[in-house]
Amino acid sequence: MIEIKDLHKSYKMGSNSLHVLKGINFTAKEGELVAIMGSSGSGKSTLLNILGMLDSADSGEYNLDSVPIKDLNETKAAQYRNKFLGFIFQSFNLINYKSAAENVALPLYYQKVGRKERQEKAMKYLEQVGLKEWATHLPSELSGGQKQRVAIARAMAAEPKVLLADEPTGALDSKTSYEVMDLIQKINDAGNTILVVTHEEDIAHMCKRIVHLKDGVIVEDKKVEQVRAQQYV
Amino acid sequence: MFDRDIWQEIFHTLKNNKLRTFLTGFSVGWAIFILVMLLASVNGMQNGFTGQFNDDATNTIFIRPGTTSKAYAGFEKDRLIQFKNEDYEYVKQSFPNDIEQISARYFTNTNARYKSETGAYPLQGVHSDFQVIEKTIITKGRYFNNIDVFNKAKVAIIGRKVKEDLFDKEDPVGKFVELNGLPFRVIGIFTDEGDDNAERRIYAPVTTIQRNLGNTNNINQIALTYNSSYNLTQALDFSERLEVIMKRRHKVSPEDQAGINVWNYAEAFDNISSFTSVLSAISIGVGFLILIAGIVGIGNIMVFTIKERTKEIGVRKALGAKPKQIINLVLLESVFITAFSGFVGLIFAWAILSIIGPTIQTPAFSNPSVSLSTVVTATIILIVAGVLAGLLPAIKAANVKPIVALSDK
Repeated sequence: MIEIKDLHKSYKMGSNSLHVLKGINFTAKEGELVAIMGSSGSGKSTLLNILGMLDSADSGEYNLDSVPIKDLNETKAAQYRNKFLGFIFQSFNLINYKSAAENVALPLYYQKVGRKERQEKAMKYLEQVGLKEWATHLPSELSGGQKQRVAIARAMAAEPKVLLADEPTGALDSKTSYEVMDLIQKINDAGNTILVVTHEEDIAHMCKRIVHLKDGVIVEDKKVEQVRAQQYV
Repeated sequence: MFDRDIWQEIFHTLKNNKLRTFLTGFSVGWAIFILVMLLASVNGMQNGFTGQFNDDATNTIFIRPGTTSKAYAGFEKDRLIQFKNEDYEYVKQSFPNDIEQISARYFTNTNARYKSETGAYPLQGVHSDFQVIEKTIITKGRYFNNIDVFNKAKVAIIGRKVKEDLFDKEDPVGKFVELNGLPFRVIGIFTDEGDDNAERRIYAPVTTIQRNLGNTNNINQIALTYNSSYNLTQALDFSERLEVIMKRRHKVSPEDQAGINVWNYAEAFDNISSFTSVLSAISIGVGFLILIAGIVGIGNIMVFTIKERTKEIGVRKALGAKPKQIINLVLLESVFITAFSGFVGLIFAWAILSIIGPTIQTPAFSNPSVSLSTVVTATIILIVAGVLAGLLPAIKAANVKPIVALSDK
């Protein structure tokens, strides 16, 4: 599903350049649930941004579902993002003047899905995250955990190949974090490929595989025994 | 553009930022309001001026003889030029294609009497065409016609004031009034928008006056209207030709303005027109400058909005919004605010004008109003303005990098 070969990325900081990713090699198969760990500055967010086509690499190869991702213009990138990827952010990033259902339907709008079908799908995914009766509520009327669940529903609405979660539990307390992880695990159980960036050990162990990043290289890549979040909920 | 979802988004944004939307819209609405009011005021001034000059037909020329101021062709200066009936005929025959109406004028004064009432009034002998030249409005009865002129009929048209003086409440039409001792049948009463003095006049066929009151074929003036389709150049060219042949006929030096004077209304009228067109150019200019301030205001607010919504735009891009869709959203919002508030300003101005406009009737200012073409132009300007105001912010928005927008710092 995801293939990365010798990925390099550096940022220019005035006259210096900061080499953030120093040759990353990484593959993820369909249905995997991978945690990307590392301390701040290890390059994990940069890697996720490149995976999410929000940023581009300086060199190296990136194939997503056998499609080479390179030399994208804005329009093409937007198309690919819409088709291949679903994003889950630490700060949810819901649009605050749109109701939960409208937020979930937004990626479908950019897929030019018809109004009625959009609403139906939005309701379906809200139901999956257990927030059907909150459909007409604005994000400001939802708790943090609910917001993240709406965001997850939104990420899934476009039926992407890969879900990318950037510190999905970073802004949540531990109980809500486990609820969200439980949801992510269930989505993964259904066969979706998910990448979770986190720096929390317990969250990482709820994935099936942990990739450790340090100073721009992968120092460890291991399969782990998945801890089910269900038991803490 | 007519996508329901885009409009829903726009209304959403506007509804959630009522004060901002109002303030932005107000600047443009106000600008359009001022622009329209300015144009209407110029229009009102124009109406006022035109109204004053329209008392007489605007395509009028008066040919007046005088006293020569230069010796010419063997004649000494200070020679009195006298027009005769032949001069009237001569002008009439010479320019059949240029002249629409033509009349001789013979000026005299008369003592008028009806029963015991008497009064002294100016009496003018004219041809029947003079009604059109002077724009005389007959309120009762009729003007005299060519047959009256030919028959030297003793008929008279009296002004409203004359009627009030002599006849009081009696209907004068059909009655006989004594002019210098001779009975004239009153066949019409006229009013004149120009002034009260004009309504103290009495008109009679020039032929009658010449025979009965002086037994002469002298005339004092020739008045005519030229082809109304003439533009200013053609009109001035025609007065030039008239002047040349009349001066030649009476052996007056071509440079002698006192000997024969050809006075063309078009010249005075042209001065007024250029005056008002300069005025309207100035007001359009001022209006536009105010409008530009409004547009910059909208642009400014839009830039601010984009900054405020950077994160939202980043999210949209992450969810698959193409740059074009973002540009569309911002542009439409800008055009919508501009056009809507502009229309409100327009309607407001229009309402005020249609309520108070007709009540304003002073000599220099009357019925200020705006034409449909002004409204259409203003609308087009508004939409263009909206696009201009939104363009820069929209491009800025489209260039928002999702990665920057989404960073949690």
